[in-house]
Amino acid sequence: MDKKIGVYICGGCGIAESIDAAKLAALARKECKAQAATVHPFLCGGEGLETIRKDLAAGAVNTLVVAACSPRVKTEAFDFGARTVVERVNLREHVAWSHAPNDEDTRVLAEDYLRMGVARARKSEAPVPASDQISRDVLVVGGGAAGLTAALETAEAGYGVVLVEKQATLGGFAATLKQRFPTQPPYAEPLADGVRELADRALYHPRIRVLTSAGVESVQGQPGMFDATIRTEAGTTNVRAGAIVEATGWKPYDATRLTRLGYGASPDVVTNVELEKMAAEGRLARPSDGKPAEDVVFIQCAGSRDPEHLSYCSSVCCMATLKQAGYVRRQNPNARVYVVYRDIRTPGQCEAFYRKVQEDPLNFFVKGEVEAVGANGDGKLSVTLKNTLLGESVALMADLVVLATGMSPNSADGEAIRALEDAQTRAVKGQTEAQRAEASRKADELKRHAGTQILNLAYRQGPDLPALANGFPDSHFVCFPYETRRTGIYAAGAVRSPMDIAHAEEDARGAALKAIQSIELASRGRAVHPRAGDESFPAFFLQRCTQCKRCTEECPFGALDEDEKGTPRPNIYRCRRCGICMGACPERIISFANYSVDMIATMVKAIEVPEEDEEKPRVVAFICENDAYPALDIAGFHRLQYDPGVRVIPLRCLGSLNIVWIADALSRGIDGVMLIGCKYGDDYQCHFVKGSELANRRMENVKETLQRLQLEPERIQVTQLAINEYGKLPELLNGFMELVREIGPNPYKGF
Amino acid sequence: MEAATRTTIIQPDVAFLRDLEAAGGGDAKKCFQCATCSTVCALSPDNAPFPRKQMLEAQWGLKTPLLRDPALWLCHNCGDCTSRCPRGARPGDVIGALRNLAIRHFAFPQFLGRLYATPKAWPVVFLIPALLFLGIALLSPSGPAEAAPEFAHQFPILILEAVFFALSGFVVVAMAVGVWRFGKAMKAAGGGPILPGLIPVIADAVVGGRLRDCQDRRRWRSGHVLMLSGFVALAAVGTVIGVGTMFGVMETPLPLGSAIKIFANVAAVVILAGSVILLADRLSDPARRQASGWFDWFFLGSLAAIALTGVLSQVSRLAQAETLMYAVYFVHLVLVFALFLSAPYSKFAHFLYRTVALASVEPKRRLRI
Repeated sequence: MDKKIGVYICGGCGIAESIDAAKLAALARKECKAQAATVHPFLCGGEGLETIRKDLAAGAVNTLVVAACSPRVKTEAFDFGARTVVERVNLREHVAWSHAPNDEDTRVLAEDYLRMGVARARKSEAPVPASDQISRDVLVVGGGAAGLTAALETAEAGYGVVLVEKQATLGGFAATLKQRFPTQPPYAEPLADGVRELADRALYHPRIRVLTSAGVESVQGQPGMFDATIRTEAGTTNVRAGAIVEATGWKPYDATRLTRLGYGASPDVVTNVELEKMAAEGRLARPSDGKPAEDVVFIQCAGSRDPEHLSYCSSVCCMATLKQAGYVRRQNPNARVYVVYRDIRTPGQCEAFYRKVQEDPLNFFVKGEVEAVGANGDGKLSVTLKNTLLGESVALMADLVVLATGMSPNSADGEAIRALEDAQTRAVKGQTEAQRAEASRKADELKRHAGTQILNLAYRQGPDLPALANGFPDSHFVCFPYETRRTGIYAAGAVRSPMDIAHAEEDARGAALKAIQSIELASRGRAVHPRAGDESFPAFFLQRCTQCKRCTEECPFGALDEDEKGTPRPNIYRCRRCGICMGACPERIISFANYSVDMIATMVKAIEVPEEDEEKPRVVAFICENDAYPALDIAGFHRLQYDPGVRVIPLRCLGSLNIVWIADALSRGIDGVMLIGCKYGDDYQCHFVKGSELANRRMENVKETLQRLQLEPERIQVTQLAINEYGKLPELLNGFMELVREIGPNPYKGF
Repeated sequence: MEAATRTTIIQPDVAFLRDLEAAGGGDAKKCFQCATCSTVCALSPDNAPFPRKQMLEAQWGLKTPLLRDPALWLCHNCGDCTSRCPRGARPGDVIGALRNLAIRHFAFPQFLGRLYATPKAWPVVFLIPALLFLGIALLSPSGPAEAAPEFAHQFPILILEAVFFALSGFVVVAMAVGVWRFGKAMKAAGGGPILPGLIPVIADAVVGGRLRDCQDRRRWRSGHVLMLSGFVALAAVGTVIGVGTMFGVMETPLPLGSAIKIFANVAAVVILAGSVILLADRLSDPARRQASGWFDWFFLGSLAAIALTGVLSQVSRLAQAETLMYAVYFVHLVLVFALFLSAPYSKFAHFLYRTVALASVEPKRRLRI
């Protein structure tokens, strides 16, 4: 279909007061060869929109360039159906609101943006969404509080569920408890575990198929069409599911590593989980001789908040101890309970329970550090404490010492398992002796991951969810709970983050909703979070592929598998449409219908570069549309002013930046290139996990190339910016323009 | 094992915990050691802040270190900590309760300490002197019928002297034993010598120097200064007159114009004003009102009543209102006896223990007038 471009320029919101819209329309017709170019004082109003609809209906235009406000606003007003390409030119936030009105430089800026917008529209096609048969069932792995809740919520919403549980019965850890600590008003008394009722409901639910004593043998495929093989006592069974919820819970931290606290040296040193078991079985006594426990010392943070063990707080151990103190005191009204803590952490209203337990005159709390736990000779244990709030080192006599150990996720680190397998292969097949030695050292380092598989995903990047910090398969701490780095697979409950039963149940509801969303979007051929609803997907021109594997390795979501030769095998339903593969590909064979290497290159080429003697340097800023672009919009709302020599090109993710664009820009005489991505690192905010980091890494190579071309490496600047740092943008942009002026004009101008 | 020899084995004293709760310190269990109390306390010294640590020891029932802790006596119970405590643990009350337990602990004889510690014993406290003075009034030979009414006609001076000198002797011994026990405990807790610090500490107490630090308690301080100076003056006058009459140097009633009489009357008014101010201060502030215990009310109430009945006795005697005069004087005598006997065990004793504790830990305290 021939492109018939219609350019619609809005004069509202101060645009007409800043630039000559009619002249811009003339440029659109004359230079950009638009079939129609209209100026309207209020384009998003009924009359303005009607003008566009009429032109579309008459067949005068079929591709729209709307030069008005930011593409982040008025999205519904300027939506003319999935088949109509609409490109937005941001005249309001990025031109009128942030530059001097009726200024020569402002006019040139608006013209460039219009040229770039038309160039983009010419190269953009409306994507045709994928349409495959999508399964509406959800596979839930783990039958504890979280898994049962996820299964029930999903089933109640009308979707089928297959619930896989490793144990012979449902209920998980919660079912082993004597009682659970209070998680509802008035937060005063422990509660019944409550999970048995969930288990019964799940067992008899018509839409839930429960498989106990079962495990996941393998998972093939992609969201909407996961093919899982489940191993049960009766044999294997195949299940097709549209999404997966991993609710495999947690395991207590390995107390055998806590010999410092006496574990292993005396049978009277037990973990909180062991004490719970004793309480559930109805006998709280000294394991060594069965005598009653008169003095019970609880040691909080046993192996928690400790860089040598678990570096985090599990958030439940304090409440568990307060609950267990009640077990001791109720069984023996003369028993004394001592709690040695670093901080008592009873989040939210759980504080009320702390108050309640504290008021018992025979519960004694002290902040301090445990120095040693040892035998006292009279059958008792002595617990010595230092740095106590009593102001001195003290010793407590104990019949029973309880270590309040924390939660480790019951997860498998898919990437580590893959790295282990790779290292094991290299250790045998490595080319040199040194390589083989290095590989076996690496394999040794990773061997604790052997055999930890849970989901057994048939993914190129590894058989399970990648772990972030501390083994939790989370993709992002702050913004996106339940989201993992494997599309359509959601983690819920204590496997995702340490949490109590109430939070695990809440988490499971969120994950169930995410799983349903994923299925519904897949059935419409659309992307899930964060580009929810995007119908485009990457196409691979595989005849030109050199099997360099960069795309398969760099995809943060493991969307690409490989055949034996290393040619990528895309799984578009796993794709999040970030374009990182497009940025990675040296052959430039990956593109989207509405986002491609060629399209952005054409936009770069649409920028008019002034002659050297005009002394008007030009800078192209490739900025991430998730954080930096909205930040620039906010700068516009605040009327922050910056140098009009900067031309902004938004990217889906900075990781989708193909370095050829930089070469294109510099060879056209553009004086400098800025890259503004999201922050990354331990508290990263990159929406696509690795994009910003990858872009940064790629730039190292680019700078070497620049030096070979005898261009100053300072002409390229990579920055990270959080969305709330919009106030820094003028300084950042002006500062770079200043630097570029100092370096002097690009010698390639005019070539 | 070297570490173990330096560490103290601690075991909570459950009986002590019960006593503390009964004495009004049960809220200590609510403390979560944020140390707001120590931070807001104007009197807490930087090198050994209180009452945060004492709250923890109270929770743990660590009787020995608590009862000999000078911090109990550095506190003047202004209630700042209690009103700022985020947890409702009422540190001021806990320290007050601990002070009472300490007085009871060091008391001699012990049963009197226990008797005075509880409001339930108040009938006994007043009944004994009431019976005693009733007996004296009934059994004493009546004075000459035609003569103007005189107190001595119902309450012969010699008998009263005997009673009060015996009582004083007992009180002095009881106090001495208590203070000696306390001093020993202070020494064991690492306190300094007591004698060299006494003078500045007493002088400071008379002018209320320490109370100056309690910013929002100016009324309290003036009340305390009035009450204490009036009290010291009356004690001196009482002793002088007692000794004077015994040796026949003086004869009561003294003429109204005599210097001693004027001085005594002024002191009585001062003490009345002081105790009324202190009572008003405690009653008007809800936090202070709640922080005040039986010890406080008994002591202040008795003192105000003694001053009042003393002045009234004199006025009714001058007016020659015979029945009223003897009745008021009788009440006056009962109150004086009860307060006198309570001295080693009640609020009164804090004067002694506080002085000893301060002398022991703050001998070089700068006198600020």
